[in-house]
Amino acid sequence: MPARSATLDRLIALGALIAFAVFAGLFLELEEQWEIASLAVIGVAAFYVAGRSGLAARIESVTAAHPRLSPLAVMVAVLLVALALYESHFALLMLATVMLYVVACLGLTVQFGYAGIVNFAGAAVFGVGGYTTAVLAAHTGTPHLLILLFGGVMAAVIGSILILPILRTRGHYAALVTIAFALLFRTFLEVNDTLGGPQGLKVPGLEILGWSFNERIELDEDREISFFLSYVVVALLLAGFAWLLVKRLERSWLGLSLDAVRLDETAASVFGIDVARWKIFAFTLGNFLAGLAGGVYAMMIGYIAPTSFTFADSLILVSIVLLGGSGNPLGVIPAALLVVVLPEKLQVIQEYRFLLFAVLVILILRYRPDGLLPRRPRRYFPGDGG
Amino acid sequence: MSAPLLEARGLTVRFGGLTALNALDLTLASGEILGLIGPNGSGKTTFFNAVTGLYRPASGAIQLDGRDITGLRPQRIYDAGVTRTFQRSRLCLPLTVFDNLMVGNHRNLDHGIVTNLFARRRLKRQFDENVERAREQLARFSTALAARLFEPVAALPMIDRRRVEVCRALVSRPRILLLDEPSAGMTHEETRALMDDLLATRDSLRGLAVILIEHEMGVIERVTDRCVVLNYGEKICEGTYQTVSTDSGVRAAYLGED
Amino acid sequence: MDIGILSQFVLNGLVLGVVYAMVAVGFTLFFGVLDVIKFSHGDVLMAGAFVALATFAGLQLAGIESPLLTMLLITLAAVASMGLLGALLARFLILPLKSAPPLNTLLATLMFGLALREAVRLFYPAGSNPKPFPRLLPTDAYSIGNFTLRLDSVIIVITGLAAIVALHLVISRTRLGLAIRAVAQDAETARVMGIDFRWVVLLTFAIGSALAALAGVANGLYYNEINFSMGLLLGVIGFSAAVVGGLGSILGAIIGGFLFAALQTIGAVWFAVPAYKDVFAFAVVIMVMAWKPTGLLAERSAERV
Repeated sequence: MPARSATLDRLIALGALIAFAVFAGLFLELEEQWEIASLAVIGVAAFYVAGRSGLAARIESVTAAHPRLSPLAVMVAVLLVALALYESHFALLMLATVMLYVVACLGLTVQFGYAGIVNFAGAAVFGVGGYTTAVLAAHTGTPHLLILLFGGVMAAVIGSILILPILRTRGHYAALVTIAFALLFRTFLEVNDTLGGPQGLKVPGLEILGWSFNERIELDEDREISFFLSYVVVALLLAGFAWLLVKRLERSWLGLSLDAVRLDETAASVFGIDVARWKIFAFTLGNFLAGLAGGVYAMMIGYIAPTSFTFADSLILVSIVLLGGSGNPLGVIPAALLVVVLPEKLQVIQEYRFLLFAVLVILILRYRPDGLLPRRPRRYFPGDGG
Repeated sequence: MSAPLLEARGLTVRFGGLTALNALDLTLASGEILGLIGPNGSGKTTFFNAVTGLYRPASGAIQLDGRDITGLRPQRIYDAGVTRTFQRSRLCLPLTVFDNLMVGNHRNLDHGIVTNLFARRRLKRQFDENVERAREQLARFSTALAARLFEPVAALPMIDRRRVEVCRALVSRPRILLLDEPSAGMTHEETRALMDDLLATRDSLRGLAVILIEHEMGVIERVTDRCVVLNYGEKICEGTYQTVSTDSGVRAAYLGED
Repeated sequence: MDIGILSQFVLNGLVLGVVYAMVAVGFTLFFGVLDVIKFSHGDVLMAGAFVALATFAGLQLAGIESPLLTMLLITLAAVASMGLLGALLARFLILPLKSAPPLNTLLATLMFGLALREAVRLFYPAGSNPKPFPRLLPTDAYSIGNFTLRLDSVIIVITGLAAIVALHLVISRTRLGLAIRAVAQDAETARVMGIDFRWVVLLTFAIGSALAALAGVANGLYYNEINFSMGLLLGVIGFSAAVVGGLGSILGAIIGGFLFAALQTIGAVWFAVPAYKDVFAFAVVIMVMAWKPTGLLAERSAERV
């Protein structure tokens, strides 16, 4: 590729990042319904045009060419947006929530996009992480970072109860098992008073090395930094970690084995790939990530209740993965932003959000199953082949 | 006379009430090319599936180099050096040529979590080595194809897809290659080219034995050392192509004469 | 345990079982014909119940009093409307997705179920609250000691079984049934033989959905209450029952339905907390699936290598 074109591509990618950051910032900050609606329409149109004109492909090749610099750039951009909105509790809460959803959906991407396992209990797994964190933080003196880690582990462990029937080939068995789990999770929580029953539990705020995240940060008399900013930073770091992990997984022999398992189990087994082992690996890793995110979420919100982890919520997570283009982690970000923030900002659709997303997914499956960003052929390292 | 590389004794495979293979005895010597022929439904692919561990035999045994591999999982049989192609092409279409070849090279790849996720420089070295390996393997069949190493297989014509499938089966340097109707969907010239390249490759893989399922008798005649003829799951004839092609029982099986 | 209480449990279990069986049979029909898991089936049951309720309200306004007539009309309305919905779903969602990966159809039907649930919740007057369902069945009951034989239970079990038997007769004795079985066995050959594949699919989905609507009305008449989320769990249970029995086998679906009901009943007796009965039943089903993934009676297979 001639040097001039490469530099142009980089500039385009940078421009796109800045545009996206401004868009996100406005999206989070604006209040007027018509402003938000028009912004949403512009966003969707921009995505469509970017996809059609090949712009999206160029941007993606730039991110592939700079596997460490790209996520760093995005994180800096997000941080700048967060700092710009430092006073707004709501905007920062949304921002952090979106990033935590991204982490959970990256986990689901590993399960579904890579290994081909559908997980309809994503919200339940997220909830396991949250509840573990809640119980441990409220009743033990364990350092919070360790608790969060343990939340992820518990999510992986509980998820692995489902693994045996999932290992049987047909997809609809995995679906049935995870659906049943998702439905029963809420019932289980509601009848267990030790876990707070239907009312839920209060969760202490995150505390690292003595600094409590829930304390206010006063700049001066009039201005105050929302305490959610600290959570945004934590969510950002977690998202960055998850991103790097998932991307590297895909660009490795591990990712290749997962793809082989997803695309053709028989051929995979005949060439030595232990299908069961890889499915277990993908499913466990995905649940771990979702559990981590759930733990941070619980601490951020300050309480946790069964009503946050319904089957419909699990379906929302699946919708995000599908909308983004299952198998393409980059697509998860705009999809999560759309799915999480839009109903919150557009009051008129709040009530209807499940219905709308259900219809949206049906339309996607019917007319554009590839989602926002189709998955590209594997590039193990920047600059190879292609 | 040296012991056979692969030996099936009394191999029987049943599906419910249907006996697909009935007490089959078959041997394969190191370096030999064996043709496996017979009418449709005579059990040829079933035999491949039994050898590669996809079907569990009802009775009988399969031995590889004296070691019993009957009923082992497909993964173990691959590790022992047996690879195959499929009657209907089973490539991972969205994946690149390189990816598909590397699926076949699973045995030689490092799947450690540390290497793959963290020690990326080490992974890069392995990657570069394998790119070379893949290019080399493909170039034996088509240099044009080798140049398309990082294109998705879905973009390739049938002949190139067959080449990729064969290379996938060869890249791990197996001891036995099971080829299931490589000529299907290809012209005579394409098949000839494929088989010529395969024979040339065989020279670099000393001792590679091949079992070839084929309907195109021209290929069988040209390429095989020996043939086994199946009909309704039973061996009805064995010998060189000359022998079996003139056997009356074989003719009856194919043509339905009495 | 007192024989009266035991019999009570058994009777309740039978009612549950027949409802589950009706749902399970639908699942197995859809899978047999098109290799499709229609996850919205339970919600179709719910929608049928709501149509029945709405029809009831309409009939009340029209001044129709007779319980028998009312019951017949609301059942007819439910069955007809859901049969139509099933056919439309097949026409516009299932058939077009036939060549896509099966996961897409699964997701699409799951989302359709969500859409149905939400539509009822949002658009039916006070949809998010449980709604009382009219008492149209005779309320006579005969008590022998601890055992109360409710007449409505008997009616429901008999009706449900009759519906299933009728379906079985249609499948095994009529030309339509023959066509359905042919398509289930080998769609390509069936087509070549002149069977109109699309019509068979549409009719199969219509029949299955109609059966679900019947189950929905039965459910409503028995418990005298319906709510917008009742279909979710019922659908999953019906699916599990079909899977345990062996997808593609109607007899398996029936057995699975009653088996699940039995498991739930046992669970309800064993565990102090009633909610655990579902956990128990599912846990057993999952174990059965892990042991025999193709179901107790074999699942219609298979993959050519």
